[in-house]
Amino acid sequence: MFEFFFKYPATVFSKGQFVLLGAWPVWILAASIAAVAAGLGWHLWRRRGFLTGARPAAIWLLQTLLAALVLFLLWHPAISIATLRPQQNIVSVLIDDSRSMSINEDGTTRLQQASKGLNDGVLDALRKRFQVRLYRIGKEATRIDKTDQLTGSATATRLGDGMIQALADTSTLPLGAVVLLTDGADNSGGVDRDTISQIRQRQIPVHTVGFGKEKVTKDVEISDATVPARTLADARLAADVTFRSFGYAGQKAKMVVRDAGKVLATQEVTLKGDGVPQTEHAQFNAGIAGAKSYQFSIEGLTGEENAANNAVTRLVNVESTKPRILYIEGEPRWEFKFIRRAVEDDRSLRLVTILRTTQNKIYVQGADNEKEFEAGFPSTAEQLFAFSGLIIGDVQATYFTAAQQDLIREFANRRGGGVLFLGGRETLSDGGYPRSPLAELLPVRLLERKDTFHRDPGTFDLSALGRDSVICRLEEKPDRNAERWKKMPVLADYQEVGEPKPGAVVLADVMAGKRRSPLLVTQNYGRGRTALFATSGSWRWQMLQPVEDKTHEMFWQQLLRCLISDSSGRVISSTPKPVLADESCVPIRVEVRDKTFKTLSNVRVMAHVVGPEGVTADVELNPAPLEEGVYTADWTAEKPGSYTAEVTVQPPDGAKEKLEDMGRDVLMFRREDGVAENFRVAQNRELLEKLAEQTGGRYYTAKDMSKLADQISYSEAGITTRETKDLWDMPIVFLLALMLRSMEWLLRRKWGVV
Amino acid sequence: MDKRSRFPKIILAALVATFCCLAMYAQRGYMPFNDDEGPSILPKDAAEKTEWAFARLMYPSGRFFGQQGYWTIDAPKAERQFVQGVRRLTRIHTRSKEEFVSLENDEIFKWPWIYAVEPGHWLLTDENCKKLREYLLRGGFLMTDDFHGTEEWEVFMESMSKVFPDKAVVEIDNADAIFHVLYDLDDRVQVPGIVNYPFHQTHEKDGRVPHWRAIYDDRGRIMVAICFNQDNGDAWEWADSPHYPEKYTSQAYRTGINYIIYSMTH
Repeated sequence: MFEFFFKYPATVFSKGQFVLLGAWPVWILAASIAAVAAGLGWHLWRRRGFLTGARPAAIWLLQTLLAALVLFLLWHPAISIATLRPQQNIVSVLIDDSRSMSINEDGTTRLQQASKGLNDGVLDALRKRFQVRLYRIGKEATRIDKTDQLTGSATATRLGDGMIQALADTSTLPLGAVVLLTDGADNSGGVDRDTISQIRQRQIPVHTVGFGKEKVTKDVEISDATVPARTLADARLAADVTFRSFGYAGQKAKMVVRDAGKVLATQEVTLKGDGVPQTEHAQFNAGIAGAKSYQFSIEGLTGEENAANNAVTRLVNVESTKPRILYIEGEPRWEFKFIRRAVEDDRSLRLVTILRTTQNKIYVQGADNEKEFEAGFPSTAEQLFAFSGLIIGDVQATYFTAAQQDLIREFANRRGGGVLFLGGRETLSDGGYPRSPLAELLPVRLLERKDTFHRDPGTFDLSALGRDSVICRLEEKPDRNAERWKKMPVLADYQEVGEPKPGAVVLADVMAGKRRSPLLVTQNYGRGRTALFATSGSWRWQMLQPVEDKTHEMFWQQLLRCLISDSSGRVISSTPKPVLADESCVPIRVEVRDKTFKTLSNVRVMAHVVGPEGVTADVELNPAPLEEGVYTADWTAEKPGSYTAEVTVQPPDGAKEKLEDMGRDVLMFRREDGVAENFRVAQNRELLEKLAEQTGGRYYTAKDMSKLADQISYSEAGITTRETKDLWDMPIVFLLALMLRSMEWLLRRKWGVV
Repeated sequence: MDKRSRFPKIILAALVATFCCLAMYAQRGYMPFNDDEGPSILPKDAAEKTEWAFARLMYPSGRFFGQQGYWTIDAPKAERQFVQGVRRLTRIHTRSKEEFVSLENDEIFKWPWIYAVEPGHWLLTDENCKKLREYLLRGGFLMTDDFHGTEEWEVFMESMSKVFPDKAVVEIDNADAIFHVLYDLDDRVQVPGIVNYPFHQTHEKDGRVPHWRAIYDDRGRIMVAICFNQDNGDAWEWADSPHYPEKYTSQAYRTGINYIIYSMTH
């Protein structure tokens, strides 16, 4: 339609430069138009006859416009545009050959649609004007001769890499344009800025042709599942599973978590509207120590177009270590005994306790040796930082020296340990904490008065956030969990505290008559975490419930595990890509600290990688230039399967520290082939339009790709010639003149002055 | 023999009996100990809410001298004096007044440490045994004291074997934490009751050898601490008497305190 009225395609106008070819200067045109307008005005004024009011002005305007149009045409308007010279330029045609292009839509696959479009005249038309090079794109670009060589079997799509490769292939040749036929389902997260920048540097327009439905009609696709990379054996794991659904709004589905085929958790979810991102919370037990590969899936729906994108896998290193938690208690209390008992059953926690039995005597339990706490509470970083968590019971702030108070703060801040404060008659507001440096660690503000501790029954009231917390999850189903908490025996006592600090999370309040106060509160502090449990009366949950009931044990184990979940060792290895979906390069990052958890920069960090089919490798990591104590490396996992990298740190030459004292860590990652193409299968039109726009190309749908050959010629890249295209004979010009004249006639007729 | 000849003999027998009774009553005055001297007024802070209180177990039994149940023996003077020691010698937040608990209701579960005196006379019902077992398995602690000899042991075990038919009563090893949690109690002696005054002997009945026995749970923690052939209750009760030897009182206090702290740490 555009070309019918304007003679040339829109590309000509968007890319070309408007010029007036007439010999006379433009100001004469402007002056002529002004003179004609004035003349017409004078003429109409004198001979206005029966025209009254605004009518002469309307006639004058129409006549002036017509005269201006004629004068404009006399100045010879034209478009000057660069055009690729015939047969002197190359056009690279890149065809997405990945598995997502094999998706069948309306009887034909996307790839068949692309091939048909090319073979039905587009390729011939291109070949008439250019030298055409065909490429198939999967993980990389491969040159092909015919579209018959396309298979639609590539396990991944790297559009950016493919284009760069095709550009490199023609770096010494006059490349006029790139044509990219794809569904835009890129597995590398899109075409990055560097790639676009490289294409723009060569001024090569990328014309994109999109295939596939832009919206699927019936599908559920999991886009992500976040789960901690490491945890302790038997720990309760929380995962957030994000997915979108189409065509199932309001319907119920099952979210299932599996470990090696064994169902760990099942949860019913109600699907939201089409395309609305939805995140559901799942909790399950990590089980015994080892490398775990958890699968998260959405099941129970019928008629899905693509069922292969309903599950994702995540790796978790369930550690066999038994981190130690130090518990200091200021006086013998039942809470102390029952916390100890609750943790005794935990295979992955070890509690070391210091109890002040008398004014001058402490009783230590669970220590490595009798002399470990000869001097009482640790006063050096090396001694305290050997623990992952710290529980401070009914201990006055002044019991700790100023140095110990600073040490406790650093324990959370620098070491990344977890600190839990309990309620008691000589702690918090009643123990001098409001004016102590330790107040900074608390997730609540403390009341500036005494007598905040009450030996009166209090009810545990779970908050909305508490319902989703792994600490308070006693039952798999959230509703049943909330019901169970309501039936819990009352606490023996409670302590009033002030408002929660910004960023703190209140998991439960205590209710005592009309009084309500934060009871269980957590917050992140520095590299660690702090928490408050403002009571010493949870032992009643154990004594007032049948011996078979494990609520008390479960609560304390979950609370303490969560407390130290961010507490890592001196060597922390990580990767942003624990699951390599149809890719092979894994970035490894290791953070190294000394015994006082200060960063270590002068060590040698090695990763011994063991993979499938006997793959082994030793990788040396290099210090990151901008981060002290951080070492990085990129390693290529050649084969699909699970990999374990044991990271060791070797001391600098001449250091006295033994190798085993430097710390070590285990990193796990997994390469999965043939899965990436199952996700994000709808046409990514946004990406294709953006790519075309940023490179000076144009986006085409499959239907209008036949116009491609005509429009592709207008390019600044390659060998070009500049053409001038007349505009005076565009049909729209004559239509406009006719319309102006007709309007005047119609108006005159209406007013009866013809 | 006619009635007139029998009358003087009856009178004589009655006089002899009366004399004997008066003589026995007179003897009482010579004893330096008197149960009636127990505290009759509640301490001023009796209502204080504390972490720990001396919880005395009320149990069914015969009547002690036809009056009160055996569970009342030494009460409340023994515990009132003992808790003063607990307050002074430890950091346990202790109530000055005792608590009487029973196996007839669930209040007992709020008192994880209980004391039973004279269990050689207890007659626990099946329901009592069931509740005591549940109490102990949940984490409760029972200290028994002041029973002596074979006969009382058998009575004690008749009920206790119903509580724990599957668990043995064993001697506590000297190395056990219960003897070291606060005080080291490696060298222990038999703590006598006041019936042994002036303490030329320290045992009652055939209970010549003192025993510190226990029933352990599956994780090796003491649930029932059995002080057999000894009377710590009297040692607490008469701690204020110059006539009761200090060494016995001292050991009884240390034993009691160790047992409490053990129950609050294990």
